[in-house]
Amino acid sequence: MTKIDVSDIQGFALKGYNFPHARYLLLELGEAQAARAFLLKLLDVITTGERWDVNKKPMSTVNIAFAYRGLIQLGLPLASLLSFPLEFQQGMRARSDILGDTGKNGPQNWDIVWRGSHVHAWLGVNARSPGALEDCCSDMMRLIAETRGARVLETQDACAISVGGKFSTQEHFGYTDGFGNPDFKGAERGYVPGQGKLDELGNWQPLATGEFLLGYADEAGELAAAPIPHLLGRNGTFMVYRKLHQNVAAYRSYLDEKGAQYAGGKEKLAAKFVGRWRDGTPLELSPDQPDAAIVADDDQNTNFTYGDDPAGTRCPLGAHIRRVHPRDSFGFNGGLVNRRRIMRRGLPYGEYIPEGQPVKDSDDRGIIFMVLNASIFRQFEFVQQQWIEYGNDAHQGNDKDLLLGNHEGRGKFVVQGTTDPKNPPFICGGLPNFVELRGGDYFFMPSLTALAMMATNSVDPR
Amino acid sequence: MGNVSGNTYGLTILSPIIEDNSLEICHSMELRWYLSRLPRDQGSPFAQLSSTYLARLVVMDDVVFVGLPACEEHLKSRYLVFETNFDGDLDTYLRRMATETREFVDAVWGHCAGFPGTGDVGAFVSYMKKCQVETTFFFADVNDGSVESTLEALRTQSELAHFMEKHQGTPAAELQREFGRFLERLRKTPSLPRGGDGSQDIPQERRPHD
Amino acid sequence: MTNINGKAYAMNAITPMKPWKTPILKLIFFILGAWKAKQKDLKNLSFIHFARWVCIRRTEFPRLSDQQPAEDLRYDYLLFFSNFNGTWNQYIDAFSAVLYQGLDLIWRWSERYPGSRPVTGFKRYISLVQFDTDYYYNVYPYSATNDVKAALRVRDALERFAGTSQSLSTAEFEKAWLEFQIAVAPDLGSTGIAPVGT
Repeated sequence: MTKIDVSDIQGFALKGYNFPHARYLLLELGEAQAARAFLLKLLDVITTGERWDVNKKPMSTVNIAFAYRGLIQLGLPLASLLSFPLEFQQGMRARSDILGDTGKNGPQNWDIVWRGSHVHAWLGVNARSPGALEDCCSDMMRLIAETRGARVLETQDACAISVGGKFSTQEHFGYTDGFGNPDFKGAERGYVPGQGKLDELGNWQPLATGEFLLGYADEAGELAAAPIPHLLGRNGTFMVYRKLHQNVAAYRSYLDEKGAQYAGGKEKLAAKFVGRWRDGTPLELSPDQPDAAIVADDDQNTNFTYGDDPAGTRCPLGAHIRRVHPRDSFGFNGGLVNRRRIMRRGLPYGEYIPEGQPVKDSDDRGIIFMVLNASIFRQFEFVQQQWIEYGNDAHQGNDKDLLLGNHEGRGKFVVQGTTDPKNPPFICGGLPNFVELRGGDYFFMPSLTALAMMATNSVDPR
Repeated sequence: MGNVSGNTYGLTILSPIIEDNSLEICHSMELRWYLSRLPRDQGSPFAQLSSTYLARLVVMDDVVFVGLPACEEHLKSRYLVFETNFDGDLDTYLRRMATETREFVDAVWGHCAGFPGTGDVGAFVSYMKKCQVETTFFFADVNDGSVESTLEALRTQSELAHFMEKHQGTPAAELQREFGRFLERLRKTPSLPRGGDGSQDIPQERRPHD
Repeated sequence: MTNINGKAYAMNAITPMKPWKTPILKLIFFILGAWKAKQKDLKNLSFIHFARWVCIRRTEFPRLSDQQPAEDLRYDYLLFFSNFNGTWNQYIDAFSAVLYQGLDLIWRWSERYPGSRPVTGFKRYISLVQFDTDYYYNVYPYSATNDVKAALRVRDALERFAGTSQSLSTAEFEKAWLEFQIAVAPDLGSTGIAPVGT
């Protein structure tokens, strides 16, 4: 029975806060002593994974993560630095070929802040109101100024999209997001069927803790590669940060054009792209129309498998959610899937333009997409390379994920169908890049213990 | 029989490489050099040996020492490993090697002990069979077609996908005519070039992690 | 990198075996050859074009001339040649996760074999016993074995449909065309280059 010490783990790694406002401060760290002094002060305000009492939710949260260069700047001993996994040391930009971040998604097109080597740390502030966000950020700026421990290179704001006067989990293309984040042992929130892994009896079980936190057994019965000493890595995790620009105009005009040709209609075609209707209803559970009751019910909204749909006639074989979370579709009791799960966090950024109103792709909008996992190489990079930018495991050859794929105008997406006139086979060709990468990197999110070690310069690598 | 799976034959040949200390550049080095410059795409001799699916040539320098408590030992000769997977029977394949890819065979097996040349096809076939090692277990995912029919199928699949996409929404009568024309064209379309034509490759410098 | 041609990776591995173990392994292979269910697993994994194991007894290394010294070996050797799709890590991860029993059954007779789980030690052993390919030819570099199987299914479906397609009435054709599209729609993935090896 895994008992995890939630007070040692940063809250961002353990749970989605579901606060609508966020600001990510991208920091360049100062000289080592000053940077450590900054960390020491930060220790007092870092949000942990401890459960909040019902009426005592904080107004804002603070979390921190470091790029490899940040750890070097902090003066960690060489032996510790070299013990970090290779892909983290290299950073996301150096791995562009592996990730398919070429052409439009290549580093030469990224925001300037991500093109250099100055982003040492990510300071994430989430808040329940704009006022709380500003207050917390001023506190952070004050700490930074007092200690001279860092310089803010850039801030990235993100905010949940408001629909009908209420904050939603919708993103700019109109899809309701946020389903299917993996359940793992020891996490305190309730398990939701469909989020974990399938056992031999077809029941959903939580995944091994070590898939998402360092220092615990993973699905292969090992500890994922972690830095030395043991305390530096334990209760920490790795975070991937990707700023995904969304070409909303291109998406809407493509959907309008193809939706008019598709006999099931535009909304159904939009559902086929992803595997869920735009309101979140899974196609596997409700192939003909959205169903708000299913969406609202956690026992249903992600509780399905693909075993009854081997030909992809309900949910296409190449649909987004089927690619990134294959569930039972590879057979072998999930052995090929359980070590490829990723925990997602994120919020949209930029102004939301409702459907029907003019929108430009050159506007700044998209989603800040963050992934938490114990092994960037085995989890995020694998999903990105093999399941998003390639289709072999989904039996779709070289066809890429429709929404995220780096198509460069030439991709296609096949909708499998039936003799039902509203569900015909259909091919969507000439895919443009609906999403473009504008920057990001790999970060290490340490435990509170590790932060204290770093702040007091007491990392001892044996 | 261990070497066969359906229509496919799995041939494994170990040919001892000549050791000659009097040479400035030894045989195994020359051989490696030659192999590094041999084209791997449609210009490959195996594209010529048209029944070949996948084939490899490996200069095996030695056995491996796996560490204590295993004992360390060494081979007295280096071996050229030739592993190939092809349609049809062994004799035909070996004969074709001697007659259709003579230059390649001479250049490669010329470095190996006991090689009789390709002049006498029968002698060559016997030589290769002397070097053959029996496959203990052979697995073939697809073993019931032929190289030619597979390449045709791949061409068909891609042409069909394009046709289907292009003619979505075309009224049935016209579609039927167009489909007839498509079938005609397909019959005349050459299948994919064996070994690929390099058209989709990315230069090695841009694939640093391979 | 010469181990790779298009979507295929040529892996070569050699492991030493104490000679008394070789007949046991040969028996196991004989049983595996007859045990269709285990082979079905390999086919379902759909990673491998062709793979083979070769047991070479210590006295069986080919000797072609008297000038060539005879081998004087203590061990028999198990040679393994695989033509697979995917990256090296992906391939080994997959086998370790789902076919570990088969792997162990075959390689437990080899010296110092650590078992296929946990996977990290297994990968270290493979790196030790793997040797590189000097020349690799692939007749269909842009097609994985999944692509080949899909293409064969499409071809078969087309052959069945094409035979009658031109003689049908328009209405019959419309219906048959729809059924044909339904049949081939799962198998229309494009072919192309493989992701970068990792």
